[in-house]
Parts: sequence; structure tokens; C-alpha cells
Amino acid sequence: MDLAFTPEEQAFRQDIRAWVRANLPADISHKVHNALRLSRDDMQRWAKILGKKGWLGHAWPKEFGGPGWNAVQKHLFEEECALAGAPRVVPFGPVMVAPVIMAFGSPEQQKRFLPGIASGEVWWSQGYSEPGSGSDLASLKCRAERQGNKYIVNGQKTWTTLGQYGEWIFCLVRTSNEGKPQTGISFLLIDMKSPGVTVRPIVLLDGEAEVNEVWFDNVEVPAENLIGEENKGWTYAKHLLSHERTNIADVNRAKRELERLKRIAKAEGVYEDQRFRDEIAKLEVDVVALEMLVLRVLSAEKSGKNSLDIAGLLKIRGSEIQQRYSELMMLAAGPFSLPFIEEAMEAGWQGDFPGGMPGDAPLASTYFNLRKTTIYGGSNEVQRNIVSQVVLG
Amino acid sequence: MDFDFTDDQEQLRDAVRKWVDKGYDFERRRGIAKAGGFSREAYGQIAELGLTGLYIPEADGGLGMGPVEGMVVMEELGRGIVLEPLAQALISGAVLAGYAPEAVKAAWLPKIASGESLVVLAYQERAARYDFEKCQTTATAASAGDGWTLEGTKSIVPAGDQADAFIVPAMAQGKLALFVVERAAAGVSTRGYGTQDGGRAAEIVLKNAPAALVTLDGLTALAHAIDIGIAAACAEAVGVMDKTLAITVEYMNTRKQFGVAISSFQALRHRVADMKMQLELARSMSYYGSLKLNTPAEERRAALARAKYQLGVSMRFIGQQAVQLHGGIGVTDEYIVSHYFKKLTQLEMTFGDTFHHLGEVSSRMQETAGVFA
Repeated sequence: MDLAFTPEEQAFRQDIRAWVRANLPADISHKVHNALRLSRDDMQRWAKILGKKGWLGHAWPKEFGGPGWNAVQKHLFEEECALAGAPRVVPFGPVMVAPVIMAFGSPEQQKRFLPGIASGEVWWSQGYSEPGSGSDLASLKCRAERQGNKYIVNGQKTWTTLGQYGEWIFCLVRTSNEGKPQTGISFLLIDMKSPGVTVRPIVLLDGEAEVNEVWFDNVEVPAENLIGEENKGWTYAKHLLSHERTNIADVNRAKRELERLKRIAKAEGVYEDQRFRDEIAKLEVDVVALEMLVLRVLSAEKSGKNSLDIAGLLKIRGSEIQQRYSELMMLAAGPFSLPFIEEAMEAGWQGDFPGGMPGDAPLASTYFNLRKTTIYGGSNEVQRNIVSQVVLG
Repeated sequence: MDFDFTDDQEQLRDAVRKWVDKGYDFERRRGIAKAGGFSREAYGQIAELGLTGLYIPEADGGLGMGPVEGMVVMEELGRGIVLEPLAQALISGAVLAGYAPEAVKAAWLPKIASGESLVVLAYQERAARYDFEKCQTTATAASAGDGWTLEGTKSIVPAGDQADAFIVPAMAQGKLALFVVERAAAGVSTRGYGTQDGGRAAEIVLKNAPAALVTLDGLTALAHAIDIGIAAACAEAVGVMDKTLAITVEYMNTRKQFGVAISSFQALRHRVADMKMQLELARSMSYYGSLKLNTPAEERRAALARAKYQLGVSMRFIGQQAVQLHGGIGVTDEYIVSHYFKKLTQLEMTFGDTFHHLGEVSSRMQETAGVFA
């Protein structure tokens, strides 16, 4: 047992740190460090910089053009990016659909889709949830009927994050009503420019249009866009969800935001207030404990010796911590978090924010926005079902 | 960065687990608790496994092992809620080996390692609570020779009326110093009693009691001693909690109400998921504490405070929920789970409770965050 990273791992970290410092545009990291609004261009600019270096698919194996890093190297890369104030990589392409295409797609599909994902040129979206299928995803109804060499897709997807920018969307569609709900689902890649696709933004409680409804009205999809076999899509989706869950712990961002919370608390004059300070101290321990949990999983992955079936715990804890730091940031500003001035969320705004601290502008919005974290990716209650299944049988 | 145990460490774990399972079952434990809360025979068996010399150098008769081995051993003793305080041997062995002059080492280390002598830390005083820097016991240097005499009272000393000697902090010339006092010495009186977990403790009154100096830099040594104790308590607690959850799971899968096993009820299943969460957070922080035990004092102190805070939160939650999920049988003396609950409660208040360590974490906060900050 050893808590320290090896000298090789530390050298790796230094290399990554130097590269990120040299290549992350300062205007983007400024926005991230201050929770200001990121544009499509900001996100894609960073994605393309990573793509050019071959690191957008930083978890990809070498055979598909990835760097072939092990679990610890991936973690160090993600940590250095997060601490430097890089935006989270929009995961739908490189983190979510790419591993499915690698594992279950045909060589033609791999050749066709992976390069655009790796370079950051093509924006992907996710079509999983439906109005009637949230936690009970397998009940989904969006229909794809085979007609010759194409599918005709009809139905609706929802909660499609940043779908307004999407060029392609990977969807779970119903291809059969026989047997259990899980056995009639297929995994389809759909060009969002196809006739019959409509995207309608949903304004969330923070005033931002972060998610969308996506409608399919007799959309023709070439049969060659089916991943793997028809009616096997649920298996592929589970593969994807397991990728999503370790990613969702987001401990590196939590470390960065805890440091930001301390800065905010000092600026707002509550850092020396014992009641407030103790709440930060509790969160500090929570973050260390979550990081230790993540490191244990990484170590087990690296050595292959101990398997740790605690992905559900990572999701639950990681999301709770995100909500807590945003809550404390808002409470630190107190009443000065209440003015809702949308322009103040833009970098470079020169207006006169009530109370005189423009940094207060996004605090409540972030708090409202992060309520999603215990709901998405399998709600925390569903995660507790999964954890209790492991423990109780 | 590696959290795997070596084969040697796994073998050590197996050996201790085997002794706990076969040699220290619940009936034996109940008998020991009834008879006063400490068995010299059981302590001797722990010593035969070599555990009392775990932190003592091989040259002094010990095994010369480190914090990870200590953690492994304490986890296993925790699983069996063993009453005999091995943690005290880990503390006294490490502190004397690290800070005492040669003569004191030679007098005690081989005997601690062999189990012949039990030497325990007698540091708590009524007025100080968890603040070990406050000390009203005083030390006076003898007018001739290098001897000292101590005056004062120490409380809740583990197995205090059974131990052979004490490591005692006392104020010498205005500074905290550390001494060894033999129980059989003139001027030492003890008053033993049972503790809530079924174990044993004592009040120690020192009146002109002869003492051997360990170190005049008592603060450094005592802080180290307490951190060794915290790491041991954390590891022990992980073992207790691991077993508490296993007992609860087994009960829930057996107990039927409304015609079905109570483990089928979602309200209860989610509680179990929350217990598993607290267990794994606690295990993670126990690793963290033990792995920081040999770092420089400031880093070590901060880490052990974080660890004990998490363990305190986890212990209270898991103990209380285990009793609740058992229902009525959970509050009986007859059934095993209440004894695990009481052990967890006692461990929370050992070497600083959760409020205390939250204060420690709070006052030590830095700008940076995380495991490596």
C-alpha cells in the first residue's frame, strides 16, 4: 500500500500540467473558474485543441488512436484539466458513444464515425430518456421500423443535453414489443440533419436552455447505422452507462470548486464564522473521502487484484458533494446571490451588480442547475437500489 | 498509488482472523466482559501471534512492522470486538521505541513485545477532555540521581488496574514531558471499573509516584502517540462496522414480517445502501489515516483529524441504523448487534470525538483541497 503516486506517474502529471497550461485558452479557463456562461464555441475550441493532440479520446485504447493510458494516467489527466479550469469535455461523443462503437460497431462504422469524434469536429448528442421513460429507461417507446435497407423512426427523446448543437445523436429505439422490455431495444446512430428531426430547447430553472426535446417524425435512417444486432441495444447501453457512472463522480472538479468555495467564503466575510467554517470543513473531509474512494477504484483497476463494485456509491457521493458546494457558495453570498441579472453571467460584463460583487451573479444559478446531478445518470434512488442489490442480494 | 495488500499482509490478516473466529467467539467475550472486561489469558494469546510487538523493532524483540500491518490487525480484532486493548501495545511500543532513552527501551520493549508486560497510555484528565495539551499532573525531579516523582490523577485509562505500567504525560518545569510509571510502585493507586463496551478502565491516582523520564519533549511524543491511537481506532472501527453490516444483512434476509423477508422492503434496502456508503467512506479514510501515520507531524495531525471525523460520522450512523433495522431484538443484551453498537459508540469517543475532530479539521484548513493537500 502506498498513497503516493510513483515517480513515473508524477512525471506524467508534470508533463500534462505543462501542456494544459500552455494550451488551455485563458478566456475559457477564466469562465470556468468563475462559473460564467460557456458558449458552444468555447467548448468546441477546447475539444479541438485536445483532439489535435490526440487527447480528446484520452481514455481510448491505442488501436483506435487513443494514448493507451492506464486508469491512473487517465485520472491524472482529468485532474490536471479540471484544476487548470478546463471545461468538462462534452462526453457524448468521446466518452459515451465511442466506446460502444469500438466494442460493438463494425469496422466500417468505426472508420466512419471515430475520426470525427476524436478530432472534436462532430458534435454528438444522447437520445435515451423519453417523457415516459426516466428511471425506467427500458420502457422507452420511440419506434424504429425496418423497411428494406432503412429504419423509419417515430417518437420523442428528451433531456438531450446541449442537443441544440448536436450533429449526430445515438438513440435507444424500440424495434420489438416481444418479450421483456429490455430485449426489444436497438442502438441507432441518427444524423440530426435528417428530415423530420426537430429539436426544441427546454428552459431549466436557472434560465438556461441546457437540455432539449428531440422529435422524430418519419425520420429515415440507413440500416447501416444500426450498432451491432437488432434488439441487443440494451446490452450496449449498459456498457455505456457503466462508463458514465465512474465519470460522474467528478472528484477533480469537486476539489477545484472546494478551493473556490473557500475563496468565496473569505471574500464574503464568512470564512471566520465558526458555523460556516465548520460546514466547509465537513465538505473538505467529504471530498478527501470521495477522492480516496476514487483512488481505491483506480488502484483496483490498475492491479486487477481487487474488484470494487462501488460505482453506485461514487455516483451518489459525487453528486451530493456537487450540490453541497454550490449550496454553500450561494449561502456565503446570502442575499447578494438573489439578483437575477443574466448579462452578469457573461464574461466581460461591466455592469454594476447589486452589492458590488459581480462574482455573486452565477452562485444561485449554479445551485439551481446542479439539482440535476442527483437525478441524471440513474437517479440516486435507483443507485441505492443497485447498491442494496449488491449488499443484500 | 496502490491500495493492494501484500501476500504477507494477507497472511497476517488470515492468522488474526482465524484466532478471532476460533479463539474469541461471542461466548468467550461475554464471559470476559462479565469477569471484569480484561483477560490476561486472551491478551497472552494475542501476544503469541506476535501482535504486541508489531511496532517494536526486531532488535528489541518485536516484528518491526508498519502502519498498514497495524491497520490490518486492528480491523480483524474489530470484527470480533475483542476487549483486550492491543492498540495500547502499539502505542507504547512505538512511543518508547521512538522517544525513550536506551535504558527505558531495554527495560520495557522486550516485555511489551512478548506480552509479559502491558503498558498503556494514561493521558486523560477530567479538566482537559480531548485537549491533551492541557495537563494538571506535575513532575518533580529528584534532588539526587535522574529520577522523577509525579502527582496527579488520570482517568479512563484502558485496563488501568490490569496494566503493568503507564505512559504518563506530566508538566515538568512548565513543559509537558512523558514518563513511565509502574503500577506496582509506591504512591500509585488504581480504581478499576467496567466500560460501556464490556471492557475495562481505571482511575489512576499518583501521589509522589516514582517515574522514569521518556522525553522532555512530551508534546511531540504525545501527539504522535495519540495519532497512532487514532489510526488504530479507525482501523478497529472499520472491522466493527464491516461485521455490523454483515450481521444486519444476514438478519434482514432471515427475518420475516408480512410474510416476506424484511430485506425486500425498499425503505430498509436504501438504509442498507447508506450504511454501505458510510462503511466505504470510513474504510477509505482509515487507509488514508494509516498511510499518513509516518509523514511529518503537521501533515500527520491534519490527516488523522480528517480520518477520525469521518470515522465518527460513519460509526454513529452504522451503529444506530444496525439497531434500528433489527427492531426489538436490536436493543437486547442477548443478541450480538447491541454489543457492536456499544463498541462503535465507545470508539467514537476514543482519542477525540466527532465534534472535536471537526474542530481540528476546521482550524487546520488550507487554501488547497484533497488527499494530497
